Amino acid sequence: MGGWLLRRALQAVVTLAIATALLFVLMRAAPGDPLFRLSADRPISQKEIEVLRARYGLDQPVGRQLAAFLGGLVHGDLGVSIEYGRPVTALLAERLPATLLLGGSVLLLNFTVGLWLGVRQAVRRGAREDRWLTTLSLTGYAMPSFWLGLMLAWLVGVEWRLLPAAGMQDPLLSSDAGWLTRAGDVLRHLVLPVLTLSVVSIAATMRYQRAAMLEVLHLPYIVTARAKGLPERLVTWRHAWRNALFPVITLFGLWLPILVSGSVFVEAVFAWPGLGSLAAGAVGGRDYPLLMGASLLVAALVVAGGFLTDVAYALLDPRVRIG
Amino acid sequence: MSTVTGWRSRLAFVVMLTAWSIPGAQAQAAPATGIVIVTGQQATTPVPTLMEGAANGVGNQDVADQLFLRLAELGPKAQTAGDRDFVPALARSWTRRDSTTLVFDLDSRARWHDGTPVTARDVVFTFKRAKNPDLAPRVSDLLRQIVSVAAEGDSRVVFRFARPYAEQLYDATYHVAPIPFHLLDSIPPDSVSRSSFATSPIGSGPYRWVRSVPGQFVELAAVPDFFLGKPKIARVILRTAVEPSARLNLLLSGQADAMDIIPPPSVNQVAADTTLRLIAVPSSTMGFLLFNQRDPKNRARPHSILADNRVRRAITFGLDRRQLVQAVFGSHGMVPYGPVSQLLWIRHRSPRAEGPNVNEARRLLAATGWGDSDADGTLDRDGHPLRLVLSVPNTSGIRRQMALLIQEQLRRIGVQIEILQLEFPIYLERRAAGDFDVDFSSVNQDPSPSGLTQSWACTGGNNVAGYCDRGVDSVMEQAVRGRGDPGERWIEALRKIEEDAAATFLYAPAFMYAVNRRFRGVTITPQSAWLTLRKWSVSPVPVAGRSR
Repeated sequence: MGGWLLRRALQAVVTLAIATALLFVLMRAAPGDPLFRLSADRPISQKEIEVLRARYGLDQPVGRQLAAFLGGLVHGDLGVSIEYGRPVTALLAERLPATLLLGGSVLLLNFTVGLWLGVRQAVRRGAREDRWLTTLSLTGYAMPSFWLGLMLAWLVGVEWRLLPAAGMQDPLLSSDAGWLTRAGDVLRHLVLPVLTLSVVSIAATMRYQRAAMLEVLHLPYIVTARAKGLPERLVTWRHAWRNALFPVITLFGLWLPILVSGSVFVEAVFAWPGLGSLAAGAVGGRDYPLLMGASLLVAALVVAGGFLTDVAYALLDPRVRIG
Repeated sequence: MSTVTGWRSRLAFVVMLTAWSIPGAQAQAAPATGIVIVTGQQATTPVPTLMEGAANGVGNQDVADQLFLRLAELGPKAQTAGDRDFVPALARSWTRRDSTTLVFDLDSRARWHDGTPVTARDVVFTFKRAKNPDLAPRVSDLLRQIVSVAAEGDSRVVFRFARPYAEQLYDATYHVAPIPFHLLDSIPPDSVSRSSFATSPIGSGPYRWVRSVPGQFVELAAVPDFFLGKPKIARVILRTAVEPSARLNLLLSGQADAMDIIPPPSVNQVAADTTLRLIAVPSSTMGFLLFNQRDPKNRARPHSILADNRVRRAITFGLDRRQLVQAVFGSHGMVPYGPVSQLLWIRHRSPRAEGPNVNEARRLLAATGWGDSDADGTLDRDGHPLRLVLSVPNTSGIRRQMALLIQEQLRRIGVQIEILQLEFPIYLERRAAGDFDVDFSSVNQDPSPSGLTQSWACTGGNNVAGYCDRGVDSVMEQAVRGRGDPGERWIEALRKIEEDAAATFLYAPAFMYAVNRRFRGVTITPQSAWLTLRKWSVSPVPVAGRSR
């Protein structure tokens, strides 16, 4: 097991290294120059462009830029953002907590509510509750997040004023407010973006879980468990659900990178100060260092998602052989 | 089972109720003496001499204007030529020794936020940094006419200029505000942007830095002993929301008191809120159709269609520009005469832009050999249709909307417009390379008309269309270099640019700002929206009601 884990981890590192090099080259090959953005609003002199090009190392050949980037990466230095004029690592570190809070809350809701509802649907297959939940989940799945976000922000935030329409915290909150007050404030700001993102993700998880459970519920070992006289709840959750969990583990691996990349629109609509909105701005401005940092983070999450899924399979499914 | 369901419902209800009732967790109304302004950009390095490259944005400028006081402020008319429209700030007065020497006497009451007096040494230090092209390439270029800045004692600064010209005071005061020598001298110039000073700057303005929460807001506090009078608004929060709909929601939900640049389609929605006051502010923005006079594929050759002045003039005559402006900006836009936004003082002296003249457009096109030989509605010549590609950035809703109207209007005179929407960086790259037929340009202008030389002089750094008229160059040169009032020369330059039809100048809008009615004495200056904030006051009683 230890050897397998090591090999799998090495594979992940190699994958990440290849992804990094590809991202770097593709970004520079794409049309658009980060410094032309400066001329969008006002005339800019050639001297100014030259000084800034040298400042950000953009006057160097791509190979040398890549070498400098990798050299910095080894020391945890991702360069300086052209847009913000600050170290990329600092910018990512500032925005990461907000993204983790939003994405983590969505994942938590997704894999509690989504799984629970999917299982309920499967055990009540064909009943009115199943039909209603199927309709609801399909509606939720078909609903564009940005549209739902706009509607919720306008209706709940502006018209009804029940929850904050945007932001992550109330800037007017007294600096000596206690942690409970601060946590409550963030919680209130969190509700609408989480709800917006969860509707789609819960719907997807429900569909996956329902299908997986339906496959398992017809297997002979479930009939045997029932024949032994086990309570239905035990049959459902201990025997059926555990075996119906594997497709959802795969889904978890796929959702992990969406923590960062999937919330771009929702972060914009709710002015949520996360990585998604930071990365979106970097794309528009061709802020290579920031774009590279954010892309690297997403790539790392993709690789980590695959790695964790494999490990989970290996640990949980006795049918999966490792080595 | 129904009991369990009922218990769960009650629990959910209690959880929700608890979340809402956590002390202080509810959305706070602004304190009686504070203001929350929602903007699109957050300040990252609001320090004069450091606002270069992408840092030269509204976000940094808005905050820097509160933290750092200039020697003098440009007045409400934004008259950059001459000395009349300037108001004393850090300098209590200025005099001229001769035509190239300007002397400022600093106000002895001025203090940095740490209590240290502002001295001539700070001014000299600032201009030394600002004139270093490796540190501040943009500002150093703007200050190129300033030959030297020297201190005479603690409170007198002497500026010497390369030659006499009308905008000496503007150049000495507008582009850079003094920074503190005693705090920055020990920091290597190229390290200042990474220093603690950059992240919590100490200035000399009416507000001091309190904190910045990345991606969310910047908080400033009034300086109680500010020498020009204690600001009446004690706390200023500049809250960031990049997406316009999020900014609007913050304003309309009461989470913000003021917002800059309301998108034109949302103006009526804001106007319906009776707690808010809408203010039209002349903007520095100007939009135009730029005609490429060189062949996009081979810059050595003239453009096969647009090199002819008569075709360009025909396009201008074929457009009902007032209708276009009305459709997009309502009553808050105007058709400019020449490349002049509402911010530029010369617009007050310029004639009105010509209206549409479809017959004249058709006559001009016929005179250049364009006719509809196959009666398909599009003019042609030598078997080639009169078809032009209009490049538009896909990020600008205003330009995309207007491009469709332009396409329809020009169809009536037989000109076929193909709209090419481009991703913003690609649009800019192609524009800079001169790879376009017609470019739907939009620029933000400095208050000084001298910036026009960048785009409309033969060798201007931003002249991407290959427009060149030596007569225009000569008149602009006289306007920039001449002493006395250069207004007439600028108008002459505009007239020549219009006659050449270098571009069709479409719109110069006023932008709409919204401010809660509980604020009094509200004035918004075009060159810097919140510059006069220290003079605003606030009613402690919230404005009631929200009519829709």
